[in-house]
Formats: sequence, structure tokens, C-alpha cells
Amino acid sequence: MSIELPVFYFLAAITIGAALIVVLGRNIVHCAFSLVLAFFGVAGLYVLLDAEFLAAVQVLIYVGGITILLLFAIMLTSRASGPGVRILNEQLGLSALIAGGLFFLLIYALWKGIPALAIKVPTQANVPTIGRVLMTSYVLPFEVASVLLLAALVGALILARKEKD
Amino acid sequence: MEITLPPVDLGAITPELIVTGTALVILLVDLFLPRDRKTPLAYLSLLGLVLAFAASLPLWGRARYAFKESISLDPFSLFFSSLFLLIAALTILISTNYLEREEIHRGEYYALLLFATLGMMLLAKGMDLVVLFLGLETLSISLYTLAGFMRARLRSNESALKYLLLGAFASGFLLYGIAFLYGATGTTNLKKVAVFLGKGAPLSDPFLFIGAGLLIVGFGFKVATVPFHMWAPDVYEGAPTSVTAFMIAGTKAAAFSAFLRIFLYSLAPLKPNWSAVLWVLAVLTMTLGNVVAIAQQNIKRMLAYSSIAHAGYILVAVVAGGELGGSSILFYLLAYALMNLGAFAVVILLGQKGEENLNLPDYAGVGYRHPLPALAMAIFMFSLAGIPPTAGFMGKFYVFSAAVKAGYIGLAIIGVLNSVVSVFFYLRVTVMMYMREPRAEVGPIYTSPALAAALVIAVWGTLQLGLFPGRLLELALRSIRPLLG
Amino acid sequence: MNVLNFPILSLVTYLPILGAIVILFLSKERHEAIRWVAMVFSTASFVVSLWLPFYFDSTTAEMQFVEKLPWIQYLGVSYFMGIDGISLWLVLLTTMLCAISVLCSWEAITERVKEYHVFLLILETGMLGVFMALDFFLFYIFWEVVLVPMYFLIGVWGHPARKLYAAIKFFLFTLFGSVIMLLGILAIYFYHGGQTGVYTFDVLELMKTAYPYSSALLSFQNLVWLAFFLSFAIKVPMFPFHTWLPDAHTEAPTAGSVILAGILLKMGTYGFVRFNLPMFPESSKHFVTFMVTLSIIAIIYGAMVCLVQRDMKRLIAFSSVSHMGFVMLGMFALNAQGVQGSILQMVNHGLSTGALFLIVGLIYDRRHTRMIAEIGSGLSKQMPVYATLFAIVMLSSIGLPGLNGFIGEFLILVGAFKVNYIWASFAVTGIILGAAYMLWLFQRTMFGPLEKPENMKLLDLNAREIATLVPIVIMFFWIGLYPSPFLKRMEVSVNHVLEQVEKGQAGKVNPGTKAASVGATERHLPSIIQPTSGTSEGAPGVRER
Repeated sequence: MSIELPVFYFLAAITIGAALIVVLGRNIVHCAFSLVLAFFGVAGLYVLLDAEFLAAVQVLIYVGGITILLLFAIMLTSRASGPGVRILNEQLGLSALIAGGLFFLLIYALWKGIPALAIKVPTQANVPTIGRVLMTSYVLPFEVASVLLLAALVGALILARKEKD
Repeated sequence: MEITLPPVDLGAITPELIVTGTALVILLVDLFLPRDRKTPLAYLSLLGLVLAFAASLPLWGRARYAFKESISLDPFSLFFSSLFLLIAALTILISTNYLEREEIHRGEYYALLLFATLGMMLLAKGMDLVVLFLGLETLSISLYTLAGFMRARLRSNESALKYLLLGAFASGFLLYGIAFLYGATGTTNLKKVAVFLGKGAPLSDPFLFIGAGLLIVGFGFKVATVPFHMWAPDVYEGAPTSVTAFMIAGTKAAAFSAFLRIFLYSLAPLKPNWSAVLWVLAVLTMTLGNVVAIAQQNIKRMLAYSSIAHAGYILVAVVAGGELGGSSILFYLLAYALMNLGAFAVVILLGQKGEENLNLPDYAGVGYRHPLPALAMAIFMFSLAGIPPTAGFMGKFYVFSAAVKAGYIGLAIIGVLNSVVSVFFYLRVTVMMYMREPRAEVGPIYTSPALAAALVIAVWGTLQLGLFPGRLLELALRSIRPLLG
Repeated sequence: MNVLNFPILSLVTYLPILGAIVILFLSKERHEAIRWVAMVFSTASFVVSLWLPFYFDSTTAEMQFVEKLPWIQYLGVSYFMGIDGISLWLVLLTTMLCAISVLCSWEAITERVKEYHVFLLILETGMLGVFMALDFFLFYIFWEVVLVPMYFLIGVWGHPARKLYAAIKFFLFTLFGSVIMLLGILAIYFYHGGQTGVYTFDVLELMKTAYPYSSALLSFQNLVWLAFFLSFAIKVPMFPFHTWLPDAHTEAPTAGSVILAGILLKMGTYGFVRFNLPMFPESSKHFVTFMVTLSIIAIIYGAMVCLVQRDMKRLIAFSSVSHMGFVMLGMFALNAQGVQGSILQMVNHGLSTGALFLIVGLIYDRRHTRMIAEIGSGLSKQMPVYATLFAIVMLSSIGLPGLNGFIGEFLILVGAFKVNYIWASFAVTGIILGAAYMLWLFQRTMFGPLEKPENMKLLDLNAREIATLVPIVIMFFWIGLYPSPFLKRMEVSVNHVLEQVEKGQAGKVNPGTKAASVGATERHLPSIIQPTSGTSEGAPGVRER
């Protein structure tokens, strides 16, 4: 048994535990910080899967960007940050049903296996590979993404800027 | 490390480049125009659209792929590109007046509209799920902003937020579906997916089904099929009217173009499975859209529900499949775009600043006060209801022909009965316009050459497609063939 | 075959819409000019259509004055017009009644005159097209186009109280029927295409194919027959699909009622005799009892309801239900007398009911009420010309010998009697009831003391009003005294239809061995995209038309 398995269990436990706090915690600030932990756990899992690039992106974007944004949002809307926020509502049953259904569907799919999937797991470091693919096969999507970001930027400006009159 | 760049075939994306370029130029020129003189930007964007259309003409020759098979230049994508350019052009024509009246005439409007058009064109051309997704996001993000363009109005903000939240939700489903499809087939390239499934791969792979199911959900949100339609009425009602027109005509066509490429082409071997699901969705969508539309008093909401119902008719054609079904979708989307844009042009025309006159009673007596716009509106309403000799009739005729041909008699019967139900609320507009006495006198309406041009084009197209649809039917058939192999 | 080498049918059909276009360019204030343009164009259409019976060849059952042009080749749709002995008289009826309708609206319509005449003329084009179209697609378009102007005529110029309800009910009822028919059309289109490899909406081609029939209710032919039935039965209207009719007729303006009763209802009966009988002979025979039962119910029920009406217009509306029952009864007797009588009775009913609505319209214009009790009695003293014309029209309607109604009803009764004397006896009951309610109506309004003060000042008919009724009255006598020009021209066509019904599948192309394999395996439409030529390879022995 390699070292990977205990590490995996460890990371998985961190992720799930933190995620549970995110969902069930009553103090929203605690929830946000737990989210950071959960993201880190997922990043760790990526590393275990030899996906360093994804792990780095996970940390950069989710931990560095999104969570910080969340915390800002919480700070700016102070009323919601107090303890005792209601975390369950009347749609609990329905959403539990749907979430549970999806869960079992996924488990079933995994159980049946993926006979068709024959992706070569890259052995060498995958950051250069991704870089190369982005600049060759996926050069068009790469460029489209930049237009997409421009549109988002313009949109954000439109919605956020102050009227001058 | 050696990187060999693939041949960059810019010729294949000239129309897209022109559209993008025009948008960038607009953003720049906008800086130098005074706040109340933004109309040149409208003409600039029209010019860009026309140039893009001209640039797409030489591409019709031979079908080919470009950018490592991530986009496809076939009649299918070119048909849709032209359709999107037309929709965008008509939208711009109906926008200028409206934006000025509502004092939201900003240069970014045109840029975002062009970005959205770019996204739609990529949705039609994309041969790779990644391209499709990026196209969809470009479209959606531009639309989120456009929906909220009337910042001063609460409804518009609500519309933008709702669209953003549910749109993001839908994107999530789509992305999840794409991931599953990738997991099942090992590729995001639609051609390779088709080859993979076509050569006898096990079609019972649960990943495949989950992927296809999630894609149906994701696209279901985008085209507003029941039960994923909840957002549509609120968003369409709240968004600026010109944007609503663009969304109703354009987004639906764009989402369907990608949907068709994925399902009719790549997932064709799974047709027995997904067509059963779509059968149910089609029935639900048509019925709910039409029945709920009856209860609407606001014309934008009514058209929103009617657009839901029309998505149902198109799903009927998807279920029917084959050359007839496929080409009928293309024809239908064009007819649908023309009559909806036309109807919204009239809605805009009859509105006043601050008082958009969107409730049905506002249309009382319009037929006698404003005969020409009312006549146009009546034509669009009859066309939407599927009364000959209009494009809407030909579209429905064609769709139900496909259903009968493919043996879906039950679906065809439900469809035509639905179209009878729909007549009820479309007629109500004409009842209001012609059979009710006008309300107390309201101010005169202001028209512009651009708006008039849009109306003329829409009326002409609606009647032309209704009376002499032959050439377009042939074009639609030619365009759908590449998908059917 | 077109003896004139001239598109006379198109000319007749499109003259009215040409007039509508001219009117669109007139200022809406110029009422007189608008009326004159409408009058000129509808009369021109009538005059041109008068040529048709003269050049009509009564020795052949083939379509005449044929025009055929490719239209949507991709779908096998052509612009195909032609008439035979069945449609000839309906075309003339249409042009005549439409001209009269323009005339009778002269003073009755004072608001929105421009729109009114535009719709009236579009309506005329649509109805003419229905009777002439020999391509299902074209037929369907005309069929639906008729709905829109009629809907506006009822909804805008109708009686204010319930016009919206009546207009929408009319529209939805008839649309419901026609969309189902559309599916039927598509079904035979694809069946025919699958069998012969030629996808076409050409009615004459589609008639050559035998559609699979078994005595089971849901066999292919029966289902398609029922789809057509639904559309036509609503239009006729047959019992129990008649509920839209009293509302629409009652609320419509006079011209609308005249056209509705005179022409629109004939579209339904015409559809039966043109399509259901020759195209689906087995099913037509299969459903004879069903059809006759419904017809007899309509005859008796319509007449009984008339007896209790207090509203003149409603009474005449219900009398239409009864009379159209006669037409359907004659048709489904499926013999020469019955069908000829049926077609003649279509024309007769168009004339006499149209005239009755004109009569009611005249009194309504003067008194603004349609209630028999409110109108009061003794009008003949004040309006002798009116009373005389009313009497003639009424007698025509109840089938007095010497007038047109008698010939039609007599032929229908003979036809029915030859098949089953019970049918005929029921029909006779209907005639007696018909005489009862019409005479009762006449007696209550025309005779008796002139009591109401409003009636004392009533003016008799002016020249224009007389002019609306005189042509019709002339036709009453002509058909009543000398019907043979009418019957002669329809005889061969009627016999041809009956022959087709008689022979059934034997007279048609049976599913060929070659064709069967095409239909079974092809999922796509290989031939639909090729322009279909007029001649069909799959159907041997096709005559070149």
C-alpha cells in the first residue's frame, strides 16, 4: 500500500468535514473560512491525481479569488454576518431528494465503470502540456475566452459605474 | 521545447473577426462621441454586420473544418450565422429609437450586442464542446448586462439578476454534461464523439446518459423549455424591450443550433433514448406555454410564454428528426425570428417614454389610430398563430409534416391542438386593436426610419416566407444535411 | 385542359383582392369611392365568372379552365386551379352573393368603411380559391385565409353585444377542425409519396391512390376520412358541431351573415363531395349510416329549434342547420339524384338563406331590432314591396314548386327514398316543420294589424335595396322553372364522383410491388427534394391533362 491512500483519506476527510461546516455552520464567517479549507482539500486531491496545474488554479482562483470576494461580501453586508442565520427552509425535503438522487446516479455510473474512457494519463508534468494545447489545438477557445472576459469587463463597468447626470 | 503551431486559418473566422473588430471599434469610437449622439454607433455596427455577412458568403462553397476541427464551416453553421447577423441587424434597427427614448443610449449597448452575436455565431460553428461552451458564455454574459441595461428601473435589475443566476445555473449543468460526455467518449470534439459512438461503442454507458441528460437540462434552460422555463417570463418582461426581442429571437436560435449539432449529429446513435425525453418536454412546453399565455395581460409576458410554446413546436421537429424535421427547425427559427422581432418593433413603436404601454388594454383601438403598425402587428400575430399565408404557418406546417412523416401522429395532434389554443391569445391582440374603442387619447407615436425599415423587413419576410418558401426550404434542407451524415 | 387558354379562374379569384389593394390606397374618408371600387371589382369578378358556364364543357368530368404552375417544388406544391361541374355553380354563387353583399352594405356600414370593404374583398378571394384549388396546400391556404376576414367582419362590424364572443368562437371552432384536416392531408401526402415515390399535394394525383381500408374503425382510410370529416362537419355545420353557427350568424353584420350562410357553409359540403367521397370511397360508404343519422338529426333538430326562436336572425341561422342537413342527406344517399340534388341545394340554400338574411337586414336597418315580438305585425301594409319579396324568398326556402328550393329538395328526397324510405320520411318531416316556422315567421311580422307606432313611418325598399334582392329572385325562378342548364353541367362530374365511390379501391392504383418496398425502407425523403413533374411514374395510365 502506497502512501497515497492514507493521504487521500486524510484530504477527503478534510474536504468533507469543511464542506459540512460550510453548509451547517451557523456563523457565516466560519462558513466562509471553512470553504477555504474545503478548497484546499480539493486542491490536495488534484495534486494526488497528478494534476498540479488544476491544483494551482484551484488555490489561485477559488481560495485566492472567490473566497476573498465572499468575505468582502459578508463584511459589507453586516446584517447577515451575525450568528443564528437560518440554514434550513421548507424545501429541504425536495432538495434532499434531488441531491440524493444525483448522488446515487453518480455512484451508479462510477460503479458501472467507464469502459470507453481511454485517456492516457500524462506521465510528465502537465503544466507545459496544457500550455502547449492551449496555444495549439485550443488557440481559438483561448482567444474567445479573452473576448468573453472583455465582454464581462464592459458589462461590469456598465452596471457598476455611477450616472454622471 | 518545440511548439508547432497549427495552421491558423483566419479565413474561416472572418465574419467572427469582423464582428469582434466592430465591437472593439465601437468601444473606442464611443469615447469620442458626445453623450447624446450615439446613433453613428448603430450605423457602424450595422456596417459591421453587413460586412460580416458579406464575408461569410464565400465560405458557403465547400464544407471544411478549421482550427483543428474545433469549428466547422458547413452550410449548417453558415445558415445560422447569417440568421444571427440578420437578428442582430434587426435588433439594432429597433433599438436606436427605443434607447434614446428611455435615455439609455450608450455605446456599450452596441458592443455588447455584437459580442453576443459573436457568441451565437460560435455556438453555430463550434465543433468542439469547449468552443460551444465559450460561445454560450460570451452570449450569456453580454445578455446579462444587456438585460440590466435600464439601470434606473427595478424590473430591469431584477431581470438581469434572475437571468444571471439561472443562466449560471444552466451553464453549470451544461459544463457538467460536457464533462460527462468527455468522460464517456474521451473527447470534447463533436466529430470524434460521433465517430466514437458510430463505430459501435457501448451505448449503454451510464456516463453517456447522464451527460446527455445534463446537456438537455442545460440547453433546456437556455431555450426555456418546460420545466426549465421559470426564469423566462420575468427576464423577458423586465429586460429592455429591444433586448427582449434579441433574446427571444436570437438566444433561442443560437441554443438550438448547438443543441442540434450535439444531438442530431454527435448523439444520433442515442436518438431512441433522448427523443423519448424530448417528446415529453415538447408536449409539456407547448401546452404550458400556450395555456399560461392565455392568462397574460402584459404583452411582453404574453410573447414570453408564446416563445416558450414555440420552443415546444421546435422540439417536436427535433423529435421527428430526419431531413424534414431538421430542415423544418431551421426554417421555423428564421420565421420565428422575423415575426417576433417584428412584433417587438411594434411594441416599441407604440410605447411612450416612461409609459411603455405594455398592457393589452393599451392596444385598444390602435388599429384605427395607427393603422400601419397595427396592420403589421396583426400580420405578426396571425403568423405566430400559424394562419396562412404567413411564415409562421409554413413553419408549423413544415414541423407537423415532419412529425407525421416520422410517425409521431400523437405529437402532431397535440401540436396542432396547441396551435389552436394559441390562436386565442394572439387573436386577443387583434381584438384589442380593432374591436375595442380607443382609450383616452395618448400622445403621438414617434417613429424613425430605422424602426420603419425593421418593420418593413419583418413584414416582407413574414409574407415572403409564407407565400414563396420554396428556396428557403431548399436552403434549409441543404443546411441540415451535413448534420445527418 | 383550358379551353380559353387564359387564366380566367385566377382572374375571377384575384379581381376582388385587386380591388382591396386599390381601396387600401384610397383615403379612408372617401366612403363613396371605396364603396364604388368594391362594387366595381366584385361585379367585375361576377361578370367574368359568367363566362364560365358558357365555355363549360358539360360532357366531361375532367377539370376545366385548368391552371397549373409549380409553386413550392420542394414539397410538391403547385398552383393548381380548376373547376368541374361541382364547383362551377358554387363559384358563380360566390361571385354573385359577394357583389350583392357589397351592395347591401351600402348604407348599413358607416364606420370603418375602408377596412370593411377590404376584408369583404379578401374574403371573396379566399372563398373562390377554396372552390377552385386542386392542390391541397393551396386549398388549405385559401381555407384558412377565409377565417381571418370573416373574423374581423363579425368582430368589428357585428352586433355590439356579443360580437367578440361570436367572432372568437367562430375562429376557434373552424380552426380546430381545419388543423385536424391538415394532419389528414399530411397523412395522405406521405402515404401517397411512400407508395409512388412522388410527393405531391395534387388532389387529382392523390385521388388515384387507394388508401388502406379495413372495416375496423381506426383503419388508415377511416382515420383520414374522420380528420376531413371533422373540418368539413364543423364548417357545414353538422349536428353536433353547429353551436358556433347561431352565434356567428346572429352577431355578424348583414353582409357577413349572407356570406356565412350563403357561401361559407358550402365550403364544408363542397369539401365532402370533392374530397371525402372520391378520395376515400370505402370509408364514405362505411360512414353512410353515421352521416345520415347526423343529417336527419340536424334536419329535425334545426327545424324544431326554429319554432321556438324569438330572434329572426337566430331563426334563420337554425334553419340553415336544418337545410344543410338536407344537403348532407342527399350527398350520402350516394346516388345520382341525391348528390345532384345536394349540390343544387347548396346553391339554393346559398341563394334563399342569403336572401333571408338580406330581408332581416333590411328590417334591422330600419328598426334596429331582430326580435320578432318587438318588430310587431302588419308590415305588409306599410311595406308592400318588401313583403312581396319576403314572401317569394320564404316560399323558396320552404320548397314551393316552381321555385328553386323545390327542385333541390325533391331530388334529395328521391335520392334518399331510393336508398331507404325511412330516411326520406324523416326528411319530409323536416320539410313540413320548415314550412311551419317560415310561415309562422312571415305571418307574425307581415300580416295582422299594424299596431306599433314605429312601424307606421317605415319606408318601403329603395331601388338599391330592391336591386340586392332581384337578382336572387330571378335565380329562384330560373332554377325552379328550368333547372336543366344547372343539372346538365353537374351531371357528368357527379356521375364521375359516384363512379369513384362505386369502384372504390378497384378503380385506384393499388399499392404496387415496387412502391411497397420504397415505402417500407426509406426513412428519408429521397424524392421530395426533386421537383415533381406532373406525370407520375408510379401511377400507370395517367391521363395528360
